[in-house]
Amino acid sequence: MPSPGASSVGIIVNPHAGKDIRRLTSASGQTSDAVKIGIMRRIAAGAVEMGAERVLFSTDTHRLAQRAVEGLDGHFEFLESPLTGAGFDTIAAAQSMCKEQVGAVVVLGGDGTCRDVATGWPDVSLIAISTGTNNVFPSTVDGTTAGVAAALVATGAVAVDAVAHQAKRVSLRIDDPARDAVVHEHALVEAALIGTAFVGARAVTDPATIRWVVACIANPASTGLASIAGRVHPVDRNAPDGVLIELGPGGRNVRVPLAPGTFATLHVASVETLRPSETIELTGGGVVAYDGERTTPVSADTTITVSIEQSGPRLIDVDQTLALAAHDQLFDEPSPRKETHGD
Amino acid sequence: MELSTEVQMDLHRRMVRIRLFEEAAGKLAEAAKLPGFLHLYVGQEAVASGVCAALTDADQITSTHRGHGHLVAKGGQFNEMMAELMAKSTGYNKGKGGSMHISNLEVGMLGANGIVGAGAPIAVGAGFADKYRGEGNVAVAFFGDGSTNIGAFHEAANMACALKLPVVFACENNEYGEFTAREKTMAITDIIDRAAGYGMPGVIVDGMDVVAVHEAATEAVARARRGDGPSLIEAKTYRYYNHHGVQNLGLKYRTDDEVAEWRERDPIFTFEEHLIANGTASRADIDAIWAELRADIATAIEFAEASPVPTADQLLVDVYTEMAPTAAEVPA
Amino acid sequence: MTRKLTYGQAFNEAVRQAMAADDDIFCAGEDIGAFGGVFQTYAGLQAEFGERRVVDTPISEQAIIGLGVGAAASGLRPIVDIMFMDFLCVAFDQIVNQAAKIKYMFGGAATIPLTITTGGGAGLSAAAQHSQSLEALLCHIPGLKVVQPSNPYDAKGLMTACIREDNPTIMVLHKRLLGMQGEVPEDAYEIPLGKANILREGADVTVVGWGRMANEALDAAEKLAADGIDVEVIDPRTLQPFDTATVVESVRKTNRVVVVHEAVRFGGLGGEIAAQIQEEAFDYLDAPVARIAAPFSPVPFSPVLEQIYLPSADDIEAGIRGVLARPGV
Repeated sequence: MPSPGASSVGIIVNPHAGKDIRRLTSASGQTSDAVKIGIMRRIAAGAVEMGAERVLFSTDTHRLAQRAVEGLDGHFEFLESPLTGAGFDTIAAAQSMCKEQVGAVVVLGGDGTCRDVATGWPDVSLIAISTGTNNVFPSTVDGTTAGVAAALVATGAVAVDAVAHQAKRVSLRIDDPARDAVVHEHALVEAALIGTAFVGARAVTDPATIRWVVACIANPASTGLASIAGRVHPVDRNAPDGVLIELGPGGRNVRVPLAPGTFATLHVASVETLRPSETIELTGGGVVAYDGERTTPVSADTTITVSIEQSGPRLIDVDQTLALAAHDQLFDEPSPRKETHGD
Repeated sequence: MELSTEVQMDLHRRMVRIRLFEEAAGKLAEAAKLPGFLHLYVGQEAVASGVCAALTDADQITSTHRGHGHLVAKGGQFNEMMAELMAKSTGYNKGKGGSMHISNLEVGMLGANGIVGAGAPIAVGAGFADKYRGEGNVAVAFFGDGSTNIGAFHEAANMACALKLPVVFACENNEYGEFTAREKTMAITDIIDRAAGYGMPGVIVDGMDVVAVHEAATEAVARARRGDGPSLIEAKTYRYYNHHGVQNLGLKYRTDDEVAEWRERDPIFTFEEHLIANGTASRADIDAIWAELRADIATAIEFAEASPVPTADQLLVDVYTEMAPTAAEVPA
Repeated sequence: MTRKLTYGQAFNEAVRQAMAADDDIFCAGEDIGAFGGVFQTYAGLQAEFGERRVVDTPISEQAIIGLGVGAAASGLRPIVDIMFMDFLCVAFDQIVNQAAKIKYMFGGAATIPLTITTGGGAGLSAAAQHSQSLEALLCHIPGLKVVQPSNPYDAKGLMTACIREDNPTIMVLHKRLLGMQGEVPEDAYEIPLGKANILREGADVTVVGWGRMANEALDAAEKLAADGIDVEVIDPRTLQPFDTATVVESVRKTNRVVVVHEAVRFGGLGGEIAAQIQEEAFDYLDAPVARIAAPFSPVPFSPVLEQIYLPSADDIEAGIRGVLARPGV
């Protein structure tokens, strides 16, 4: 049994990512369990290869973790927690991994999943592999490579500070007097107010219902709500500020891929840059969406205070991590794993 | 998609109608007033309601063992349904179908089905007829997670996709095939993981959230009407009662805690909270709806109890359609 | 106007004429479109009526029947083909539990004007899974009608009637008769279902046989005629509903009867027909009802064994001589 504090890689999967209504409303592909299991197995193999003493998995309703490592050599642990089948499972898994002092976490999901991880562990050292629908925050990286990079960071072979960049978050304080509730939420990419009454199937599909979008990553080369900001006022993920776009008549009309393969015309009423530590108060009712998913219903006289914070996860640059490892000849035999375990 | 007040109240009404019908049927079964098997739909109301609210009377559905809910949601009337469950001649099927085979073609309900998975190929036929006539109608196959392990489902899914028919496959994944947990009978968790194998999109929705189901169904039905072919919706849901009968707790194959967890997410009560929070309806409005529909149920039970049983001369009626002799007969 | 057509062509003509008259009729099945069916019984129909109305399906017998059931319940008049009769077993739920029962279960509200066509019978060394005669299974199911023509004229007339039927009907074409030639009228005509045909009138003994066996019975009758034995041959044409009256009337005249079928003897229709005869004409019988049928084994592959397995004109002749050997009352 490895000692506590041994170099640990965490793997968190959202079994629900890439399976929602956007398979019908857009050209989004479906990410099957088999695809996720394959990625997780490659991550685990890569992490073990690179000397991770422990590989910790979130447990999930679909038992993806257990199935991913069947027959695979290595020390694998499964973090038992009550499963709800919802985003809480991802939040709880991130909290557990924080407690276990995991050195680097690899997340499989889309923007929504990464947000849940950051909710459970705000400044986690993270590699995010896109298996979701809108993937602004995560990226496409092979599991093998991701596992190797995570282990390099977790073992300290590559210093996390040399390869990670702290992400921003959109911070929201929602004061809903009609519901007698004050809610604090964060988003990793964007938050938006949607003029509908229900959370429903969560995805935002009707462009006419979007009231405003606040984004801290506004990449024109993305899809989803973030692409509205991206195509109007790009903001780099490493720049400190954000942007508020209010939708409505009177301004620019912009074509936007609101979901993968699906374009709509958005009417942009105003654009405003959000400086770090600046706060803006917005009002209105509907449902607040975080990173593309309708989540919090709010009454008409709700006040929503938004700001951009430099408090997000430390996003590990996989390419840079492997480049440093190659430079330091960390892939030469004897491997770091053999040095550690003496086998 | 913004739902009008009318649609919201329609979704609510469909769910309450199902709940009241099923709870009443359960009580009648306990009182030994219903012959045969009874498979209650309680807990799954959001699925039938959310889907059927996206359909017209000309759209057809096929159903399962647990078919009362689908018929109620499709517009079935309490009197004729209750009479059928009581095996009376005034029932939709003149007392010859019963709970497990209840149907009404006028509202486009092609039958509950006593054979797991058998409805799907029939829905494919209904969808074929829709495409053949080109009138823009669609067919929906309701089926459970368990039925996706039977060949009929796979043949139907493949054929619907191969022929690009206007069929929506609506899976009610209630986690149990009769008395056995899903995880013991398949190596996958999400039924939609099978959809890609046939070349159709698959989406998962919260089957306890009528709005989520309705949104997905609306999209899938629109896709079918456009001629873009089938899709599979998997609604994650739960039945409060046993596979059949009226027992709900103390079952060997599931825990009471699990039942309690699902009940906390009751599709009707959670939706009512939203209706009130949104100002769509007041508690008094909602209470009035329940009271009105309870009265309808009481009327239906009276109607059914007062109705006659089938007479002996009905035994051999409708085995075949009687054919008129042909005028063009040519002697051999 | 009549002219010579084969059994398969006569069937094809029935389908073609019906489709030309009614857009609600469509055909679906494995290989029936572009290829015309493995027995070419659907040849040329897709070229004439298009892919909308003559549909090539996946190899999915349950879904093929389901397609027919659902479309029939929705008001169309489907003709669906199951290539070999043996394959009906793959689709038995849809045939037995759905197609046959929907009308009754629905309290009469539904009609299922569905025609299922299939190729039955042995004699092609097609072995145990492509040669069976399973009509007894089908005739046992309330709600179904079962038809088997013995010649080209009947193939067209019975198929026309099947398509007009408002009940699920199974038209079994005998594979060994597909090339049989005969006079067939050009115009559409129907042979009513449920009415037997007296193929040959005779006074001494009645033989009941259908499909290829009706022809074997005729051959036997010809041979026996030379010995002064006068055989009446009845082809029931429709096996469900079965025309008991015609058979009974014949037996009352001849007092002796042989039932012949290609299906195995045990549990075959011969037993049912014999039972009906003894119920309705017991006092007229001068001998027990004889059954000439296949032995209780799968259909063998070996041509030698298959020939032994199948009832023939010689077997029927022997059977007839057997019942005639019993002294009359």
